[in-house]
Amino acid sequence: MRKFSMPALVVAAALLCAGPALASTRLLETGSTLLYPLMNLWVATYQKEHHGVEITTQGTGSGTGISQAIAGVAQIGASDAYMSDAQMKGTPMLNIPLAISAQQINYNVPGLNGVHLHLSGPVLAGIYSGQIRFWDDPHIKALNRSYAARLPHHEIIPVHRSDGSGDTFIFSQYLSFSTPSWRNGPGYGTTISWPAVATAVGANGNPGMVQTCKASPYSIAYIGVSFLNETNAAHLGYAALENRDGRFVLPTASTIGASARVMVAKTPRDERISLVYAPGADSYPIINYEYAIVNPHQADPAVRRQLATFLSWAIRSNGGNAAHFLNSVHFLPLPDSVVRLSREQILGIR
Amino acid sequence: MNNLTQRARMQPVLGVGTGIAAFASAAIVFLILIFLLVFAWPAIRFNGSGILTGVIWNIGNQYGSSTVTHNGVTAQAGASFGGLVFVFGTIATSALAMVIAVPLSFLVAVALVYRVPRKLQPLANTLVELMAGVPSVVYGLWGIVVLVPWVGNQLGPFAQAHLSWVPLVRGETGSGNGLLAAGIILALMVLPIMVATLRDVILAQPPTIFEASMALGSTTWQAVTRAVFPSVRKGFLAAVLVALGRALGETMAVLMVCGAAINQFPSNIFQAVNTIAAVIVSQLDSALTDASGMAQRSLAELALVLFLITLVVNVVARLTLRGADRSAQ
Repeated sequence: MRKFSMPALVVAAALLCAGPALASTRLLETGSTLLYPLMNLWVATYQKEHHGVEITTQGTGSGTGISQAIAGVAQIGASDAYMSDAQMKGTPMLNIPLAISAQQINYNVPGLNGVHLHLSGPVLAGIYSGQIRFWDDPHIKALNRSYAARLPHHEIIPVHRSDGSGDTFIFSQYLSFSTPSWRNGPGYGTTISWPAVATAVGANGNPGMVQTCKASPYSIAYIGVSFLNETNAAHLGYAALENRDGRFVLPTASTIGASARVMVAKTPRDERISLVYAPGADSYPIINYEYAIVNPHQADPAVRRQLATFLSWAIRSNGGNAAHFLNSVHFLPLPDSVVRLSREQILGIR
Repeated sequence: MNNLTQRARMQPVLGVGTGIAAFASAAIVFLILIFLLVFAWPAIRFNGSGILTGVIWNIGNQYGSSTVTHNGVTAQAGASFGGLVFVFGTIATSALAMVIAVPLSFLVAVALVYRVPRKLQPLANTLVELMAGVPSVVYGLWGIVVLVPWVGNQLGPFAQAHLSWVPLVRGETGSGNGLLAAGIILALMVLPIMVATLRDVILAQPPTIFEASMALGSTTWQAVTRAVFPSVRKGFLAAVLVALGRALGETMAVLMVCGAAINQFPSNIFQAVNTIAAVIVSQLDSALTDASGMAQRSLAELALVLFLITLVVNVVARLTLRGADRSAQ
């Protein structure tokens, strides 16, 4: 066996001891898997420009992010959903929007994936509760007169997330806000009690949603916009959704932006608000803020300073909200007035 | 001399060391049980027998302000923790896996011992052992990319067209995520354990049993089923029970292909199911945002149920083996 020389061991030991001393402050970000790819892009660039801070990222799920931020294990809990009043009553935390995301309704209907079917909240609620079972159901035909003859008499396979998810949160909000029977039934949350539908399938994570929808003809799924490249590669169709004004709109930068502009004015100081089902003729109905959940009380002054510096950078248009970061995951930047609100919250970290 | 005293001195160290090790393994099991009981206690009071008999699983309204209180413990409004669907799915997927894996593993073990040329045996054995080393998530990935689409797009429509007279096959076959896919994946995962155990059991038999039977003019099949099988029955049972223990708790691969059913039972082998292990993993993240904490505690109660199921399987295994011992004498 080859032995290591003594000087080499001494150098190695010195490096091991010096490592942590050089990178003085460590921040842990954990949570949303939707934010995780963006966080990785951010942190890689940020650490090149900023020394004295070492940021670790983890994609563990929004619920884990929130609970670990509350427990003090992580300094940043990434979440697709804002915290509920009940949770805030337990431990008040800052809910700081970092970017705007959206969601598409994808489907795999052979022959129709190239067109954008029109779907509405009540029709989706009907599909996910088992009242609308076939693609050629009169309710679907009524929204798609030009393709009525091409809609197949085939049972719909509704795909939902099996894991807790911000995507389930905003999708079930769209159904709840547009359909009273859904609001009074399953309601909304990061996990909901799905109605029993014999063909329904739960899939794990957005990658699981894409794969299941791709592999199962006649399926329908809700998938985060950051997976647009994957759903396009899988040749899935995506729907034009009915908004609050009764117009059918596709998820594009302009319709997501239109929706955001309407909701920005309604955003309260603590920024906990649903952006789903916004009024306005051009508003795309399923969009949301992506949040950093942060404890406002940070005992360590170095952690407090580095945390505030990183978050301020993340929301700046020439920092983390720059187009080259957000475009890669199809997120939209925060409008100026929201940046101001977020900055005020960041100043509240003490 | 010096060496001898040193050996004598080491004796009590070894005794204490092994004693601690033996005690620790029992203590760890006991501590896990205590932890689960204590952590799940509020859920045990809230759910009562519903955890075993209820069909509706609903962690309640996360964003509502109201709560419900039952037996002095509080949960989110609308909460209902019925675990029957998951208990059923756990048992059904493992049972189906056994139905597939038991005959298959017996045939593979017999082939390895009697049919594979001696020169190729080390290679064949290594291949089977390699199967045991494949991580669970790799089986899951293969399941989601290859197996599920095949079941959903080929096997399902075929069964609907030609096998609709079979009770557990008839009906809507869906996407391919479901009981059958989960059963097949689990069968593949437990196969290596069963084959390895069985092969060793068969090899431990005096070769004369097989040879005598062949000398009397049996075919290989007759020699195996009539002479070899009866002598390895006990080892066979042990292999099945060890495999069953593994199948009951398998999580990731099952989660990826089972279809994660909630609030409903499958009406045929193609439809979605869910297991206790899979539901704990998939629901935990949302349960962490339940301010009342009841969702987490109910998942712990499900874990307790799974723990008890595997415990029962183990006890039954031991009793059966003891019974088999006695009848063999």
